[in-house]
Amino acid sequence: MDRRKFLQALSAFGVAGTLPMTLGAPAWAAATTTTTQRLFITVNASGGWDPTALIDPKGNAQRADGLGPVNNYAASAIKTIGKLQIAAYPDGKAPPATDSAGHLETFFNKHHQRLRVINGIDTQTNGHETGTRFVWSGRLETGYPSVAALAAAPYANQPMAFISNGGYDFTDELVAPVRTASAATFTSLAYPNSQYAENAALRSQSYFSDKAYANVQAARDLRLARLRTGETLPQRAAQMAQLEKVRSGDVKLDGLLAYLPAQVSTGLKGQAELAVAAFASGLAVSANLNLGGFDTHGTHDDDQTDALTLLLEGIDHLWEQLVLRGLQNRVTVLIGSDFGRTPFYNTGDGKDHWNITSIMAMGAGITGNRVIGATDANFEALKLNPDTLEPHSSGIIVTPKHVHRALRDFLGVSSELDKLYPLNVERLALFA
Amino acid sequence: MSQHARYYRILWRDTCLALWLSLLCFFVLPVHAAAATDSTPDFAHPVLTIPRIDVQGYGSLNLSLVLESEPSMTFRIASATPAAAGLNPGATYNLQAQELTIPSLRVGSQFYSAQLRFISADRLQLITTAAVVLPGQTSFQQLCASCHGSDGLGGTVGVSLKNCSNCGALNVLSTRINNTMPLGNPSACVGTCATDIASYILTAFNASSSQQTGQALAAIESLPLDATLRNAALHLVGRLPASAEVALVTQKGEAGLRQALDGMLEEDAFYARLAEIFNDVLHTNRYLSTNGTEAAIGLMRRFPTARWFDPGVDLRGSDYTVNRVTANNSVATEPLELIEYVVRNNKPMTEILTANYFMVNGYSAKSYGITGINFTNEWDPNEFRPAVLSGTPHAGILSSLMFLNRYPTSATNRNRGRSRLVYDVFLDVDILALDGVRPDGSAVDISSDAPTMENPDCVKCHSLLDPVASSFQNWNLRGTFAPPRTWYTDMFQAGFAGVSAPPRSSGDSLQWLTKQIVADPRFDDAMVRIIYTGLTGHEPLDAPAASAPQAETEAYLAESTHLDEIKAIYVGANRNLKTLVKEIIVSPYWRADGLNNVAFSAVHEETGAARLLTPELLHRKIEALFGFQWRGPLDQYAANRNVFSSARLLDTRQYYHQIYGGIDSFTITERLTDPNGLMVIVQERMANEMACYAVPNDFLSTRTARRLFPHVDTSTVLTSPQGQAAVRQNIQHLHRYLLGEELALTDAEIEHTYALFATVLQQGQSALLGAQGVSESTSLPTRCMRNNDINTGTSLNVAGGVDGRLRNDNTYVIRAWMAVVAYLLADYRFIYG
Repeated sequence: MDRRKFLQALSAFGVAGTLPMTLGAPAWAAATTTTTQRLFITVNASGGWDPTALIDPKGNAQRADGLGPVNNYAASAIKTIGKLQIAAYPDGKAPPATDSAGHLETFFNKHHQRLRVINGIDTQTNGHETGTRFVWSGRLETGYPSVAALAAAPYANQPMAFISNGGYDFTDELVAPVRTASAATFTSLAYPNSQYAENAALRSQSYFSDKAYANVQAARDLRLARLRTGETLPQRAAQMAQLEKVRSGDVKLDGLLAYLPAQVSTGLKGQAELAVAAFASGLAVSANLNLGGFDTHGTHDDDQTDALTLLLEGIDHLWEQLVLRGLQNRVTVLIGSDFGRTPFYNTGDGKDHWNITSIMAMGAGITGNRVIGATDANFEALKLNPDTLEPHSSGIIVTPKHVHRALRDFLGVSSELDKLYPLNVERLALFA
Repeated sequence: MSQHARYYRILWRDTCLALWLSLLCFFVLPVHAAAATDSTPDFAHPVLTIPRIDVQGYGSLNLSLVLESEPSMTFRIASATPAAAGLNPGATYNLQAQELTIPSLRVGSQFYSAQLRFISADRLQLITTAAVVLPGQTSFQQLCASCHGSDGLGGTVGVSLKNCSNCGALNVLSTRINNTMPLGNPSACVGTCATDIASYILTAFNASSSQQTGQALAAIESLPLDATLRNAALHLVGRLPASAEVALVTQKGEAGLRQALDGMLEEDAFYARLAEIFNDVLHTNRYLSTNGTEAAIGLMRRFPTARWFDPGVDLRGSDYTVNRVTANNSVATEPLELIEYVVRNNKPMTEILTANYFMVNGYSAKSYGITGINFTNEWDPNEFRPAVLSGTPHAGILSSLMFLNRYPTSATNRNRGRSRLVYDVFLDVDILALDGVRPDGSAVDISSDAPTMENPDCVKCHSLLDPVASSFQNWNLRGTFAPPRTWYTDMFQAGFAGVSAPPRSSGDSLQWLTKQIVADPRFDDAMVRIIYTGLTGHEPLDAPAASAPQAETEAYLAESTHLDEIKAIYVGANRNLKTLVKEIIVSPYWRADGLNNVAFSAVHEETGAARLLTPELLHRKIEALFGFQWRGPLDQYAANRNVFSSARLLDTRQYYHQIYGGIDSFTITERLTDPNGLMVIVQERMANEMACYAVPNDFLSTRTARRLFPHVDTSTVLTSPQGQAAVRQNIQHLHRYLLGEELALTDAEIEHTYALFATVLQQGQSALLGAQGVSESTSLPTRCMRNNDINTGTSLNVAGGVDGRLRNDNTYVIRAWMAVVAYLLADYRFIYG
């Protein structure tokens, strides 16, 4: 289903021509302003994180099957913060400074009241590509857009509606993904006719006078319309129509620059700064952030800990940026990974792929300090009663499909979009 | 199956003949006359063809009936000609009853018996019909349809069987089915089952639809040959055609084009493009130093001399950084170098998997500790030669250190990720897209000891996946040849397509696997897919779903039939990839320039090779046309030309490579193929900057040496008819040179561009005079000035000599031309290729 077909499908539903269509009112809308767009961020811990080193801790009890411990820290070191269980640092691994935002206790002490954790999610795979697809689209097979793209789809006419930093960013052509770069790059694009875009004092020195530039742009637009009208090859006519449409959008990058820090950070923090600036300036409504380093087949304790520290620092920074721009009540953040890691160590002190994982959610509409779902001592998913969401032997195993069913309901994804990418599965109140 | 077809079937069973035919006419049957080349009578609305019917007194006839009245189901005899030799009678005629009986009439992919009765001298009426199940039909639906489609058009896993060029004769096909099908479970269909299915495939799916395909292809207007040459040169080798190449095309037509292409395919630039095309599917460039200075070297822990370039912190010389980066990139590009070696030396593409060697240059040979290779220049990073690592059974790309690390394995994965990629890239099979097979919506039952061998839900995929995965068993997580003492018994053992690998003692199973893969026809399909995608910017059409509109089916049939023909030529040329590239370039799908019949608009919705140029293609196009790259002002070009980070379309961190849809083969592996809001601003900035750099620079040269302005000077203005004519002539040249448009001087587009030039010039000249309160300087914009030599960086104002600088634009003519060039550089026909 491509965008063209999407529009055709909308036509079938009798809503063609109404784009950008509004989403259904999200469940939490009444608690926030009703006049503002809902914004959405996904954070992908690329490579497969280890929930037992984060929010589904097990400790170092030896497994009955002789495969050793799940973790290299004592069960007694597991911390309870609010209703969340937090892992300890592995023996022999120096933890980050306690004043680091990425320190486990520091991070969860600060954020647990706004964090909802869902443990024991069965991704049914241990392949990276399949795992990321399932976790971020709700479908194991190919063909469904990422939920971040789905959230941006109704705003596809906005030229930067969906910012992607890699990971699973399949959009099925519902919306054009926009990739980002440095602040300097944005500055040069904010003033495309300036010879010295990055120097505010010289910025007015342009390649063309305003009049000449306006003439060039007007002539260019008219020429494109003429070409499209005379084109007989459908593929090229469609490309021209798309180019016309994108060019007609008004990308006010100078507005975005106003919200960027003077020195944009690197890594996940930098991605967060750009996404928040794009939200604040009204250019974007959805973004996926991406951090690698979690595929720790060797020296797991060292490398996974370092990656998790960077992840938590990045999430904390993201939150601070949202607060700084007053967006914390408009942005929902979902944090997840391809899958989990084995509840035992391999011969290289690493951990391989494991199909059980967790996700965390925070921000607009999310009631925090709650954990749903559970795993047993060997990090196997426990079944849940679909009504109470409590573990129950005759319940169901939660999969990413359940998560996305609940997420779509929570986000208010329109029925038109929902029908295009159906998720026929039990409705669980995972985010209610 | 479409709702219409389903409806039609139900009605057929109910023998509601009239309504059936009515539905048949409107919904089900393709609107064309099938040119049956076998003996089976065929109905393709409105023509019923009987290839051979024996009628006493008339001999063997080829009978063609046309449906004349749907309500009464009457046919008129349209023609009766002598039947071709070698056909079997497909119908009988009862003189007494004046009835014509057809025991097996093909309608689409279904078969029916039918009886017609003469109602006048040249008219017959359909009186009875009944569905016929052919031998092999039921078995096909049970065993084959899940992959090949119930209509034989294929799917994500199985190739199309329609007009299949590699099906061969009945005995060939039945033997193949007998030995290899269904994949992973060949014992499910042997003997009569295989023969019947082969017969059914050849009968049901291989009635020629060449007429239909021919009509679809004929609707495509192809680019003229000279324009094709220009596009091919820009795409393949990043330059404009040489005059000798143009002459070849002028003198010899398509043969000349092929000859010119032969020359291009020997150039280094083509191999750079080829590497891009293959990296887009392999992503082994993830280990280039742009993703970590020693991203590739870091994988070579077992090689003691991997870091030969580092004598120790205190002893590092000035060449340390260059050697370090070059060594890393030489190791990183090894799989792509192997492809280049195979293609450059006209070897069959099968060797990219079967090569019992790998590629090194002087830098990577040192890292691997390989000696004794006769390099002409061991410090030439471009001189790659085959080499063998001691004790390593090379298996082409599949045993490459880069490939094996890019697609790692683990104790739980057991090479399945590698297997999936092998299927995807080298067999044109996306296992993960296997419709209706993978459990969805509920957790998989993995309670048995070996669910991948026992749970039917798992077996369907794992019977394909795991034998290939097990064939990688001797290659560990880090890409090292390290045969394990034992291999897992709870998964399918090494093998391919139902054939088990020989015992471990008889050699490496990966080497064995590569030989099986390249013998599979799907390997050829995979090569066609990769090259077609690389050259056109989009993948070949997937087989349509059963419910797909007729146009989608026709589009697929036409394209896949044409690609099959191209594939056959490539295979016949000893699988020389250059042949494949050449055939795709000259095909109507690459040269499509329009349609001459709007009725085929839906069929050709995806046809064509127009694409938003990748950052790399746009980078090279700019250089081809202007003689310099987009790297900033030309006064600093000499200093910047070899600094990677100054290339606006190649650098990711400070500039536009990532924003413009490029990949790093690491975290970003999918190119953006459609423009977004930021990308159109990149185009705008490119147009502004390049116009600024190129226009003044061109006026520095004499007229005959200019690329952009051979008909005008900075003094050419519009105050005289001669000046106006010269400007129009130069605009015509710019449209041709920059956009490849051949326009008459009277063309409206020339006038539109002329109007832009005239308007900007007039407004600018007014501003120079300070009219209407607007003032402009006579100086060029600072970054457009030309002060230094582009190649040497030395001043153009040589002491004691002529001041060759260009800093002013006293008449505004240069800036008016800058506006024209900026207008053209952001044009669809420039940024798409």
